[in-house]
Amino acid sequence: MRRSIVIVLALITLGLSAVAILRAAHADPMPFERGSWSKLAARHAGQPTIIHFWGVTCAPCLVEMPHWGKLMAERPDMRLVLVAADPLPQPVEQVNGALQRAGLDRAENWAFADRFNERLRYEIDPGWSGELPRTVLVAADGNRTVLPGVADLSTVRKWLDAQPRVHN
Amino acid sequence: MRLTLSTLAFVVLAGAAAAQHQHHGDAKDAFTATPAFAPDGTLWVARGMADRVLVAKSTDLGKTFSAPVSVTADPISIDWGPDSRPQLALDRTGALVVTYAIFQDKRFNGRVYATRSTDGGASFAPPVPVTPESTSQRFQTVGVDPDGRVFAAWLDKRNAAATIAAGKPYPGAALAYAWADERGGFSDTKLAFDNTCECCRLGLAFAGPGRPAIIFRNVFAGSVRDHAVVTFANPTTPGPLRRVSVDDWKIEACPHHGPSLAIAPDGSYHAAWFTGGAARQGLFYARADNADAPFGAPRALSAPDRQPARPYVLATANAVHLVWKEFDGEKALVRWEVSQDGGRHWSEPRTVAETADASDHPLLIARGAQVFLSWLTKNEGYRLIAIGEST
Repeated sequence: MRRSIVIVLALITLGLSAVAILRAAHADPMPFERGSWSKLAARHAGQPTIIHFWGVTCAPCLVEMPHWGKLMAERPDMRLVLVAADPLPQPVEQVNGALQRAGLDRAENWAFADRFNERLRYEIDPGWSGELPRTVLVAADGNRTVLPGVADLSTVRKWLDAQPRVHN
Repeated sequence: MRLTLSTLAFVVLAGAAAAQHQHHGDAKDAFTATPAFAPDGTLWVARGMADRVLVAKSTDLGKTFSAPVSVTADPISIDWGPDSRPQLALDRTGALVVTYAIFQDKRFNGRVYATRSTDGGASFAPPVPVTPESTSQRFQTVGVDPDGRVFAAWLDKRNAAATIAAGKPYPGAALAYAWADERGGFSDTKLAFDNTCECCRLGLAFAGPGRPAIIFRNVFAGSVRDHAVVTFANPTTPGPLRRVSVDDWKIEACPHHGPSLAIAPDGSYHAAWFTGGAARQGLFYARADNADAPFGAPRALSAPDRQPARPYVLATANAVHLVWKEFDGEKALVRWEVSQDGGRHWSEPRTVAETADASDHPLLIARGAQVFLSWLTKNEGYRLIAIGEST
């Protein structure tokens, strides 16, 4: 009897820590490294996807982020990927804090994790010199629309409405 | 191969810097090296590290270095902004002047400190802020005029803070300057212009004794962040603002990407800068005949899909040198061009150094007519590379 209680308690503890680990893993952005861009693109291939590049050290980005948070709540069908692309990678807790404040911590999040940012940017778009914010709308056929600077979300809504429905 | 103690010291220094960048959380550490030559040919280098500024010297053109000396007793919260770096200069008495910026809070408000060494870099005086004004100062640059006087300029937020507190808008920061006093301090601060872009490095050259010339990213009407040059009429009179080019880069953010300026002995001005404007995008060079003439048409350097960045211009007695960094898909390259006729004609660009990982901005420094590339890279450490020997 006593033994089974111990086992049950142990299982509960294990379960709780597993949940905690999963939560932590969910909250931390994935490290964006060399090769990450092609992985990200493969993950969403054939699906209309919005990729938003932002930064903790980019003041206009922090103003814009809550609007993306609202759009995500309004359009749960939207595939939104956020990439923290600070020229110098920032501490993960600061990235998480900004995402939480904007209501974006449950989106698919990545964060630049390599100081050789020339290489990361080149893989994404050789013509991108690193300005933030930046939004890339990728249609189901792979066709890309780049919105440099703070995005006009009415443009984004129109683009979303024009995308054919694709089911997973 | 024989390793001297001093070589080891600098290797350890470079290794420590490299190790810091393997951890995600530490990746924002400063990683810069700023050089200066003493009149006797000694090379001095100030290294921006994770939490301090280290100074070392080399008497064999960067092959070996003395044991580095920290300019502060305690760790500092160094400004790690991508366009920020400690600066150093040697004044006419031979004293070594070092300036650096720290972050005083999490909102990137900075504070610029200055210190100096009068015992050949063995020790440094306790650093003091360049101004008692405590709002924010960043992106200090330091130079020595032809008479050996030390001049400093930086971006200063005192007017921004006061104006915004009064409920009015104030884009950017102000361009502040000061000359070093007898004791090496910069107590007498003045503002040259309001509304400069707030987080791009400044470029500094001298049109003559007591006549600094500064290139900076300005905030023109409509939040257009294009470049301008100011040339001082005398030590305390900044001249008019001269626009370098109308790129029309309307941006409500800071590009973290500042310009570079050189003045040749014939009085011609040489500017290089980065823009993402409506009129042009990428890296550009332009020249002006003198301190008053308008700048000529911008010439594009490299191609936008090679990420050309971080230009640096240097004029010697008989040539103007220009370098920048670009990316070929695998490696970062330093490209170099030289002009023998005051910037009217230039050599074809040549790669003078490359690296396959992160790197500091490429800088140029001259000892007499010999020009060197000074470049800190994660893989190779610090390198001083003679360039232009064959021309």
